[in-house]
Amino acid sequence: MKKRSHSLAAGARRSESFKSWLIMLPGLILMTFFVWEPLLESVRMSLYKTENIELVKFIGLKNFISVMGKANFTQALVNTFAYTFWSLLIGFVLPIALAMLIGETVRGKGLFRTAAYLPNMLPGLAVIILWSAFFSGEKSGVLNILLGKLGIPTQTYLTRSNLVIPIIISIATWKGAGATALIYMAAMASVNPELYEAAAIDGASVWQRVIHILLPSIKKLAGTLLILQIISVFQIMYEPMVLTKGGPDNASLSLMQLMWQYAFGGSMDYGKASAVAVIVTVILLGMTAVYSYFNNKESDWD
Amino acid sequence: MRKLPRTGVIRDYDMSSRSVRIGYGIIYALCLVMVVFAVFPLIWVVFAGFKDLKEFMSSTSILPRSFDLGPFLKTWSQLGIAKNYLNSLISVTGSVVCALIFNGLLGYGLAILKPKGYGVVKKLVMLSLLVPATISIVPLFMNIQRLKMGNSFLPLWLSYGANAMYVVLFIQFFESLPQSMIEASRIDGCTPLQTFFYIVLPLSKPICAVVAIFAINAAWSDFLLPYLVLRGGPLQTVMVRLFVFSTEQTVNADTMMRSVVFSMIPPIILFALFQKQLTENAVSTGIKG
Repeated sequence: MKKRSHSLAAGARRSESFKSWLIMLPGLILMTFFVWEPLLESVRMSLYKTENIELVKFIGLKNFISVMGKANFTQALVNTFAYTFWSLLIGFVLPIALAMLIGETVRGKGLFRTAAYLPNMLPGLAVIILWSAFFSGEKSGVLNILLGKLGIPTQTYLTRSNLVIPIIISIATWKGAGATALIYMAAMASVNPELYEAAAIDGASVWQRVIHILLPSIKKLAGTLLILQIISVFQIMYEPMVLTKGGPDNASLSLMQLMWQYAFGGSMDYGKASAVAVIVTVILLGMTAVYSYFNNKESDWD
Repeated sequence: MRKLPRTGVIRDYDMSSRSVRIGYGIIYALCLVMVVFAVFPLIWVVFAGFKDLKEFMSSTSILPRSFDLGPFLKTWSQLGIAKNYLNSLISVTGSVVCALIFNGLLGYGLAILKPKGYGVVKKLVMLSLLVPATISIVPLFMNIQRLKMGNSFLPLWLSYGANAMYVVLFIQFFESLPQSMIEASRIDGCTPLQTFFYIVLPLSKPICAVVAIFAINAAWSDFLLPYLVLRGGPLQTVMVRLFVFSTEQTVNADTMMRSVVFSMIPPIILFALFQKQLTENAVSTGIKG
């Protein structure tokens, strides 16, 4: 009798488990179709010669050799690291600074938060086109109008190879920094204001409170956001595609843009495009691994 | 006026020091600069929309000569933007429905039902957060081609049903629900699906609202996959149109700026309606969408 009830319960559990998987099935099918399978498929495709949507012949690493042998690959690789460098230089500290500033305000805090978040809501494509008018080299370009009022003559911007990457990163920062600042504000809000009060009574100056209480409260979050920022800027693609077409003379061409060019730029070489995608993925995995290695090492010390 | 509490590093007690008061003034000045910086480009692009091509290319004034809505109406009807708006509306609506149903059910399974072996799937979903969507856009596009789903909204709708971030948002919320209520409904004989619709869903309005707002905005702004799926066809959305304008340079610069304005109107309305929830959600949960 006991044995039988046991097996009944096991059966009920099994059927419940089956029903649960059935509920998750539609979501799992979609995740497979849209995310997981394409990821594996891009690895497979990078090893094949492709013709339109057909995989014609297994050619080993030939796509990789061909892609990496071209001058535009080296250029795109260097550019992509330059994007990452500039993004960390311009875009990493700014949100922290904004969060600290907005956090100190009392009256008008809601307005500041709203204004900071607003650019993040705008379509990225529209933002790029909008800013292209600001950086136009004509005398009717917005920046030239504004600088003209200060007596500075008309300049060109997007045709200068040393300026184009910092400009694209500045535009991306304009869109994202305010919303990131609000995330930092969430971490900063976890500090009980009484802690600052107590430190103040003990004679800690405002700066000492910032360094010893405020900044430690966001240390962990800053690490996470740093790696997420690197991952996201490393795949920069449509910004240079729309703003400069990768120019002048490939000075703003990114790796992902190179992938897009191989696939959809006329030649429809999906095999080579996948090879570029795989290279980007490998670099990103490498950087994530290095990050988590140092992250774990550091937390061992805590 | 009601006195608001200070929550920052600077305390009331510090304000007796002159240098802190000056510093506080500088903080406010910088915040105002930020507001100007965030808002000015938007105001400018609306002003630019009032200019005709000649004025746009030659004028060195930020303000337009006249605030006549004529150019906006002309661009709207000439380019047939109304049809693109309708297409975007259909695309967004289906995307939001898919985002809520499929990610919600997957999140429910991973957070509450937890059938044997769910851990592997949960790890896969978490890992997918780190993998960018565009990196596998080539094979995804080929899959869509193979299934002959080109020139249709279906793949775009369904793609929103496979969003790792939304699944994680649902998981986090469902895990915070009172598990005793869910357990009680099970003891009372509800099937897992009944529990979802009668117990979990009614408690989950806040997270559904958050995911819906994110999905509306993302689906409206999306253009890479929509461009590949819809290009050349009759179903192009506003963003696909804008992308074609910008890459093929088929329209003049002034028309382009008016198209930018058209593409920004729905997100700005959405923001105006929900800005309090959005900014407070970002501040309290640390998710920016």
